[in-house]
Amino acid sequence: MKLHEYQGKDILRQFGVNVQDGRVAQTPDEVRQIARDYGQAVVVKAQVHVGGRGKAGGVKFSPDADKAFENGEKILGMDIKGLTVNKVLVTKAVDIDAGTEYYVGMIVDRNEQSFTLMASAEGGMEIEEVAAATPEKIIKHRVDPVTGLRPYEAREVAIKAGFKGNLNKIADMMVKMSEAAFARDAVLVEINPLFVGPDGVPLALDTKFEIDDNAMYRHKDLADWRELEAEHPLEIEASKYGFAYVKLDHGNVGVLGNGAGIVMTSLDVVNRAGAKPANFLDIGGGAKADIVYNAIKLVSKDSDVRAIFINIFGGITRADEVAKGVIQALKDGILTKPVRMRIAGTAEDEAKALLAEVNSPLIQMYSTMFEAADEAAKEANASEAK
Amino acid sequence: MGILVNKDSKVIVQGMTGREGASHSRAMKEFGTQVVAGVTPGKGGTDFEGWPVFNSVAEAKAATGANVSIIFVPPAGAADAVLEAAHAGIPLIVLITEGVPTIDMMKAVQEVKALDAASRAGGGQGIRLIGGNCPGLVTNGEAKVGIMPNRIYEKPGRIGLISRSGTLTYEAAKLLNDAGLGTSTTVGIGGDPVIGTTFADVLPMFEADPDTDAVIVIGEIGGADEEAAAEYIAAHMKKPVVAFISGRSAPAGKRMGHAGAIIMGNVGTPESKLAAFGAANVPVADTMPQIIDLVKQALKL
Repeated sequence: MKLHEYQGKDILRQFGVNVQDGRVAQTPDEVRQIARDYGQAVVVKAQVHVGGRGKAGGVKFSPDADKAFENGEKILGMDIKGLTVNKVLVTKAVDIDAGTEYYVGMIVDRNEQSFTLMASAEGGMEIEEVAAATPEKIIKHRVDPVTGLRPYEAREVAIKAGFKGNLNKIADMMVKMSEAAFARDAVLVEINPLFVGPDGVPLALDTKFEIDDNAMYRHKDLADWRELEAEHPLEIEASKYGFAYVKLDHGNVGVLGNGAGIVMTSLDVVNRAGAKPANFLDIGGGAKADIVYNAIKLVSKDSDVRAIFINIFGGITRADEVAKGVIQALKDGILTKPVRMRIAGTAEDEAKALLAEVNSPLIQMYSTMFEAADEAAKEANASEAK
Repeated sequence: MGILVNKDSKVIVQGMTGREGASHSRAMKEFGTQVVAGVTPGKGGTDFEGWPVFNSVAEAKAATGANVSIIFVPPAGAADAVLEAAHAGIPLIVLITEGVPTIDMMKAVQEVKALDAASRAGGGQGIRLIGGNCPGLVTNGEAKVGIMPNRIYEKPGRIGLISRSGTLTYEAAKLLNDAGLGTSTTVGIGGDPVIGTTFADVLPMFEADPDTDAVIVIGEIGGADEEAAAEYIAAHMKKPVVAFISGRSAPAGKRMGHAGAIIMGNVGTPESKLAAFGAANVPVADTMPQIIDLVKQALKL
């Protein structure tokens, strides 16, 4: 789960990180009030789950309260990469030129089988840009998952990265960020910029924080932070059914299968067949007819979908259960688009018999995933051409 | 014959009395695996469908001489179950559970590796974790410690199979079966970001296995395990290796079901994996059935 800047900052603050003061506003009047309370220049920052807010005009410096109101009006309701800005964070402005901006972050690293701590003197930029242009400017260090990050390690990394200022306090901020990452099951946490002012004291000006979805069960206090409106409506519905579902742009073939690997390969096969997958939908293992029924219901609601490709390799999953789900969807009038499917494995013959009984042109079964995908692609492209 | 498990493997099932544990215990037994006991804390001393159930792995091991454990414990307790088995000295631990928190796995994997090193330093056989979020492993004709459908392993053969994806493992095993080639051992290593055993860990075992002639590596987007495998192959493998990469059309930044299947920045892209295999002279199949053609070519069949 991705957190907003203000939420990530709340967590860091709880772990003792020195975070720039700021409050959340949902109306321009609230923005003005916060600016008045602070009695100084503020920055109004859009709170949306996408990068590049600044470039999109979602972050604005405001020298006084009236300008803050004006900027609040501009930013609230703004569309940034398809997401509407419903909240802004109003923070005290900092004279960046008087100090230095650094980057620190921790990310789950498959290769290290732990977190990797990253630090760079190139603060204020997206770390991916730094990594692409000047990888030598990022210092990396594996964090031991059992001991966590220790102060001397953090100091070493800060020194190697060329950080100037109060090194003990900077290292302490990194240690506290690491404590927050472990305690809150982060998969990613960044403080960027980490601002070091003329007094040498570090201050977190912005943060990214993403929590491991598998660990949400032990962070029930953060469950309210999940914002369904920031997700695609079909993804929200899918989460109710417990499907792994991802809506894909510009697709015309709905794709569903049993298992992440087979669904990923199904997407590849649809592409090869000359059509575009509209979604990734994994119904999981051992799905019964009702789950298949719901999956078809979900995919059929997507107006981009012109045909459906079902790819099942049944181990625990029974082919006849899949067929029953599809047939029920047809009978209930939910299934109106052609379904081209390949179901191999357990109870394949029973499935064929059930489908033969129904004998609808909307449902066809093939013996390989390629034939099924080709037919689904053909149907989808023909339907679009009309 | 094969690697890691065989007809002499004695298997205990942690979480045998749960729904998944029970059904797969039966399926493993049908396959011919020596399932010797179950472990369910609190149910020690009872009997489950003819199997004795113990409160702890240590008790089960002492009573049965088990040398493999397969874990069906729910995510919140799964890493703890791994550590219990490792500290009891079970040399091969297979974690099937999907959805284990990544930090739990980081800690468990590191501890298992330390126990493995200590065991080897003391002249022991070491401790290996396979998974989590994996389908397990099968030495065809001998033993299955996993959840793969039994009937895709009708024909034992001489092709080793390593895969990050469960369903694609089934697909490949069936293709090999139907092509009359068959498999030696299949190892599903799992799709999570932090797993106990990687491609590069399994490859040397197949290289050394007299019953394996060629190896198939089934990778997917995300991470750099395939790149590491390619490096190992180029430097050390004499047996032919054929690869397949799933998710080549997946968009960057979106997580495709598996926690590990996500392209982040420039890491984990299909291009990087294809380039690595290309540099190692490992042919990469465009489709699953093409894997068979490439294996046949490599073995001049």
